[in-house]
Amino acid sequence: MFGKHVSSLTSAYCHDELSPEQSRRVAEHLISCQRCRGEFEEIRFGARLAAQLPLIEAPGSLWRGIEIALDRNGRPTLTRKHGRIIFFLLQPRFALATLALIVLVVGFAAYWLHDKPRPGGASWDVARLDGAPRIGSVLVNDKAKLGVGQWLETDTNSRAQISVGDIGQVEIDPNTRVRLLETKPTEHRLELAQGRLSARISAPPKLFFVNTPSGVAEDLGCAYTLEVDDAGRSLLRVTLGWVALQLKDRESFVPAGAACATRPGIGPGTPYFEDASESFRSALTKVDFESDANAQRQGLDSLLGGARVRDTLTLWHLLGRVDGDDRAQVYDRMAELTPPPLGVTREGVLALNQQMLEAWKDKLEFNWYDYSFPAMKSLKKVRTNGLGKLHGLEGKK
Amino acid sequence: MLEQTAMQAEQRVQDPIDARVIRACQEGDREAFRLLFEAYKDRVFSIACYSLGDEAAADDVTQQIFLKLFTRIGQFRGDSEFSTWLYRLVINSCLDERRRQRRFLPVEEFAPMSKAVYRKSPETGYERREIAGSVREAIGGLKPKMRLPILLKYVEGLSYEEIAEVLGCSKGTVASRLNRAHKALAKRLSHLRGELEI
Repeated sequence: MFGKHVSSLTSAYCHDELSPEQSRRVAEHLISCQRCRGEFEEIRFGARLAAQLPLIEAPGSLWRGIEIALDRNGRPTLTRKHGRIIFFLLQPRFALATLALIVLVVGFAAYWLHDKPRPGGASWDVARLDGAPRIGSVLVNDKAKLGVGQWLETDTNSRAQISVGDIGQVEIDPNTRVRLLETKPTEHRLELAQGRLSARISAPPKLFFVNTPSGVAEDLGCAYTLEVDDAGRSLLRVTLGWVALQLKDRESFVPAGAACATRPGIGPGTPYFEDASESFRSALTKVDFESDANAQRQGLDSLLGGARVRDTLTLWHLLGRVDGDDRAQVYDRMAELTPPPLGVTREGVLALNQQMLEAWKDKLEFNWYDYSFPAMKSLKKVRTNGLGKLHGLEGKK
Repeated sequence: MLEQTAMQAEQRVQDPIDARVIRACQEGDREAFRLLFEAYKDRVFSIACYSLGDEAAADDVTQQIFLKLFTRIGQFRGDSEFSTWLYRLVINSCLDERRRQRRFLPVEEFAPMSKAVYRKSPETGYERREIAGSVREAIGGLKPKMRLPILLKYVEGLSYEEIAEVLGCSKGTVASRLNRAHKALAKRLSHLRGELEI
């Protein structure tokens, strides 16, 4: 069996993962074969190196962030007393009685739920707000169910409200067409083909998505409006928390107070604060979507000249989207507005060093929030207490 | 020395979580979930750190993993070991995050994680930390196919069978990937031969 070389078994031999018979034969072969012995020494050295990897302690603030997200998720939370009761019931001596009780409860529930619609299952509740919205060809009277794959449409006079499982609500404005693509505990996804919706979601990040013809809006714990025009262009406006917009390799992170446009075939543009000047926004449109290089260049010059401290949101995103001298210009303007933190160098940023970009973003974010909102005040307190990054968790208190 | 490392890994992964805690988590018991979090947080965070090479991203991903875990723990039926089930979730989340990072901005492989706190052991000295740093960087340079079995073996102390179950491949594939990974490490860090106790 081991007349041939045994190098393919060497790691398993080092880790004692072979049967005793295999181990004995590998050992015998190693004595007689210089080539396999050489490979064995090399692999054993590699294994010794790998064994130097230490365990890394998780940051102490991690649990707090999880707890905040869990609280917002609305999952039932048992008290210490309830927990004790469950542990008590799970003791072996009570197992039979517990089992009988479960069977009774399940049987009763099955009987009670027989022929009733499944709440929060593979469909969402829809309530008519105005006019005559339709699901497929059926008019929604007061309430209805929107199943996976079904379209909900409103005309010029109608509006509707959708309950997204138990995590939030979406209002559908007139002249809008949406379809439910997916609903499961780990993902809820709508498609907005045309029109406008307003979403308010209280759930952990990355649970609720809206597909549009020119990008996907990914909820990071927030409230926002999203509209799509006849040409498939969309505009996202965030009122609370964060939303990520993405299409293929382009991604924009949009905080409360900011907006971001998308274009078919291009994807998300660069986010900007809605209180930015008209000239700044018009220049950004040129930079994002103009195909003429000269126009883009003029747009960038105008944009940099008119940028405020808060507009570093836009400039930070632009760093990864422009190159060469343009990137250097963006860096210089950002450094004038908010100098980078210690350890973040011009060279590193121009080379798009991810850690440096993130470190600078952490500093810049303090200028991006509007702390006049009560929720933002508490967030500021949390942040200054050093609880770390809370992307997507803002404004949920 | 390999045997010592294996023993340490085994002690590290002795499962402090029993079926009752998992059942309580499935019932939504926050305290049981806290127990589970405390038992696995360092291991999950370590995998995320080594896999992503970025402490901030590892922090976010670890948080997402535990949130997913809490949402999905009801789906755990006990057909496999809980740790195997959990590590599958961890590996998938890390791979997703890497894909996401690539979409947004080019990520430098394993930039230094200056703020990372390594668990101290009595033998932790300057030289050993230096070696550990070099090993971490070298592991960061491996392809995910080779890196993941290394992490599951040396950080989590899983057996070949468990690694195969987590990665959805055969034991033979695990053995072969570990072989290639060991060779690659030995080649990249050949200058450390004299510094490691043989």
